[in-house]
Amino acid sequence: MIQLLANWILSFDILSGMGNSVAWGLSLFIVAALIFAFVAVNAIVLVYIERKVSAFMQVRLGPMRVGKFGTLQTVADALKLLQKEDIIPRSADKVLFIIGPWVILVASVVTFAAIPFSDTWLAANMNIGLFYVVSISSIVVLGIVMAGWASNNKWSLYGAMRSAAQIISYEIPVGITLIAVVAVVGSLNLQTIIQEQAGTGNLFHWIPIPLPNWFIFHSPFLFIAAFVYLIGATAEINRTPFDIPESESELVAGFMTEFSGLRWALFFLSEYANATLVAFLVSIVFLGGWQSPFADYQGTQIGFSIITLVAIMWTLFVRAKTGRLSVYPLGLSLVITISAWLFPGFAIWMASPGIFWMLMKAGSIIFMLMWFRWTFPRLRVDQLMYVSWKVILPLSLINLMGVAIWMWLTGEIQF
Amino acid sequence: MTEQEIYADLSSKFGDKVIEFMEEGTLNPTVVVDAGAIAKIVTYLKDEERFQFDSLMNLAGHDADVETEFSVIYHLVSTELKHYITLKVFTSRDEPKVASIAEIHRTADWHEREAFDLYGINFEGHPDLKRILMEDDWEGYPLRKDYVPAEFYRGMRIEKVK
Amino acid sequence: MGRLHAEEMVLNMGPQHPSTHGVLRLKLRTDGEIVSHIEPVIGYLHRSFEKHAENLEYQMITPFTGRCDYLAAMGSEHGYAMAVEKMMAIELPERVEYLRVIFAELQRIASHLVAVGTFGLDVGAITPFIYCFRERELILDLFEMASGARLLYNYIWIGGLAHDVPPGFVEKTYEFLDAFDERVAEYNQILTGNKIFIERAADIGVMTPEVAINYGVTGPSLRASGVNIDIRRTEPYSIYDRFDFDVPLGQGLQGTIGDSWDRYYVRVLEMGESAKIIRQALDQLPVEGDVKSAIPRRIRPPKGEIYFRSENPRGELGYYIVSNGKNVPVRLKMRSPAFSNLSVINEIGQGWMISDVIAILGSLDIVLGEIDR
Repeated sequence: MIQLLANWILSFDILSGMGNSVAWGLSLFIVAALIFAFVAVNAIVLVYIERKVSAFMQVRLGPMRVGKFGTLQTVADALKLLQKEDIIPRSADKVLFIIGPWVILVASVVTFAAIPFSDTWLAANMNIGLFYVVSISSIVVLGIVMAGWASNNKWSLYGAMRSAAQIISYEIPVGITLIAVVAVVGSLNLQTIIQEQAGTGNLFHWIPIPLPNWFIFHSPFLFIAAFVYLIGATAEINRTPFDIPESESELVAGFMTEFSGLRWALFFLSEYANATLVAFLVSIVFLGGWQSPFADYQGTQIGFSIITLVAIMWTLFVRAKTGRLSVYPLGLSLVITISAWLFPGFAIWMASPGIFWMLMKAGSIIFMLMWFRWTFPRLRVDQLMYVSWKVILPLSLINLMGVAIWMWLTGEIQF
Repeated sequence: MTEQEIYADLSSKFGDKVIEFMEEGTLNPTVVVDAGAIAKIVTYLKDEERFQFDSLMNLAGHDADVETEFSVIYHLVSTELKHYITLKVFTSRDEPKVASIAEIHRTADWHEREAFDLYGINFEGHPDLKRILMEDDWEGYPLRKDYVPAEFYRGMRIEKVK
Repeated sequence: MGRLHAEEMVLNMGPQHPSTHGVLRLKLRTDGEIVSHIEPVIGYLHRSFEKHAENLEYQMITPFTGRCDYLAAMGSEHGYAMAVEKMMAIELPERVEYLRVIFAELQRIASHLVAVGTFGLDVGAITPFIYCFRERELILDLFEMASGARLLYNYIWIGGLAHDVPPGFVEKTYEFLDAFDERVAEYNQILTGNKIFIERAADIGVMTPEVAINYGVTGPSLRASGVNIDIRRTEPYSIYDRFDFDVPLGQGLQGTIGDSWDRYYVRVLEMGESAKIIRQALDQLPVEGDVKSAIPRRIRPPKGEIYFRSENPRGELGYYIVSNGKNVPVRLKMRSPAFSNLSVINEIGQGWMISDVIAILGSLDIVLGEIDR
């Protein structure tokens, strides 16, 4: 993408004199700025969505005053955070206190360099993309420990220690789960992983249900692996039910207790950046990335018709069980289905790969993370370790082995 | 078991440590006992098969007037046999001290600290007798009838109550 | 290589901490995550209730009682009014008794809703808390209808009530009760049966009956240990002997009898029982009766003393009142249930993790206003 941008800059007559390397550097800067802008805007949007989602789950309205339906609330909050007094506690370790949040932010922002938003929108097409993302994102723990230690506060220290233990523990099963996918593809390049998932096929190869060729439907083992990864990743980004490093009812706010204003906002920014990253990774590795779930426009029409049927049945089921009529899922799917049948252009657009699908998939995963957060209680620190070392890690190892055997059985690899 | 029977039993067991039985002027018939013997009596009431006073409902310090002695009132109940007894001890104003029952009824621990905090009654044998509701360095015992608050507390003026 | 030298750390939880339910300070001695000793430090909310009471006339004390246990003000007022009435031997009109029971039980539901919700909050579940507050609002609406206030009512006066209930109150209460059972089922769905919640609460902070009785723990926390003591049943005051209700006991459904989960679940069940009592009381409520007819013109209890106890949402609420025949009490001691309930925390919280101490504290359901008075 950087090279493309550089070529595009050079194609203008006025700018062509700047030379290749300058144009390249300029486009590097532009892409970096775009990524940062994405992270920042994304955080603001997600905070708003999270507030609204939590509000609706809790029979509230959420923010309603600033802007229409409170849409500007998080913008206002961000502005407030920016102009807040920057407090550094007297007995804090100043240097670490200042760098800590930045380390976290940088670590979570630079990972986006390797994330393919669509087939062309990709900052750096690395052949070790997956490895890069996983390894860089674990630098976050360093920043957290720095921040917790520097605060010179027992609660912060507890938060940091818990966080370090937790992130390192979950890194292992998460990594092994991803290796299972890498074993299928034979490449660490994220684009290659996505391209492998093009087209449609049968569920688990043999069961004759036509489904997209995503890795989640590749084999029973990868199906489980997707959930193992989701659980592990939820723990890695410190979200409920694994939010023990910042558990507000126990550790006040964990490692961010002493932070205020901009520094605190940085934590927040990186928290949502990490959540988005995880959502992107799940969709890239297991849900086909920017691939459309529909093979062609007919597939779109049929697919949405099936979804509508399911929506009708679900609505009836809910109505029978609780007596309430929820029309929104049904209405939405009906509208989309009807337009897919009426306008072939729309159906074709739906069937084509692109950033739309990437965001849709990532959005659903983020919604799931929010759903977890607002319904589950929090695990205790030893239970968290138990889940990691005694449940998820063995499961991921079995998955890795199972995938290999499965591929040998289905003839995908030969010895 | 009625309070009268309990009183009879106690006075036969402890002799002159059990001072009198009060039915007049109280809705909970009370046995007045010696301040030094309260721990023994409470233990006896708790362990004896006939009484089983295993629960201390309430322990209250009391100061009737500026000249009278302090008293401490114990309200005991048996969760098994569902009968009640109220014990009362008197202790001198100048040197108030009562045997602690905190080791027998753990709930007395905090209640005795409260009585110490507000009346300055010394509970001998209490594991950790210190102020509980007031500040550790508060001067005087606020619920004594002759309590006069200090002028200042750590530089803050204490407002006078009429 | 030398031995790794580790020592215990003192951790101050509170007085400003999100999960201490007010301004409570717990001095924890911790070894890593394990808590080896807990010392509660109280008194941050001490408002000299007992000193005030010695300088106020009897009827003027009523609003102060509500301010002690601010989550169950009706219960506190009810207990105080009954204690003074018993000293003065006042006979109450039937309607007053029924209305008082209705309010006390509504208050019990409201208080348990807060307890259940905040316990969820303590273990990290935020949504059930808001659900509980939704129902609590409805109860507070009823209180507002009757007394004009939503938290501190000054409604149950010595010898009667401040006002009769307005028209429409009975119907609205019925409406609330009809909707309530379904709502309790909702809490059970989102919290009670949740696997993570069970992991966090079951077998944690087990309180044996002996420990509970010895520490003077009362109320739902005691009953969760399997001790069948409910003053409404064992020593019926007011008109509680006329109603048919169960006393839920801890059964150790998810773990050991007397664990945090039991303490939580006993409260959930008790809300249903309270709803049952309210329904019966509404059915039997006499239409006629002046709620102020028995209010004495001058409140001067005869010389003497009384210890009167009643069942507040948090446990046994006792008033020890000494009168010398004047209009001001010589001594008024409030035996607050949460005071004794909190003192057990070191006994049952030792050896657990920090997170568990918070869960145990939440399951005891304390109100600092009542502990410090």
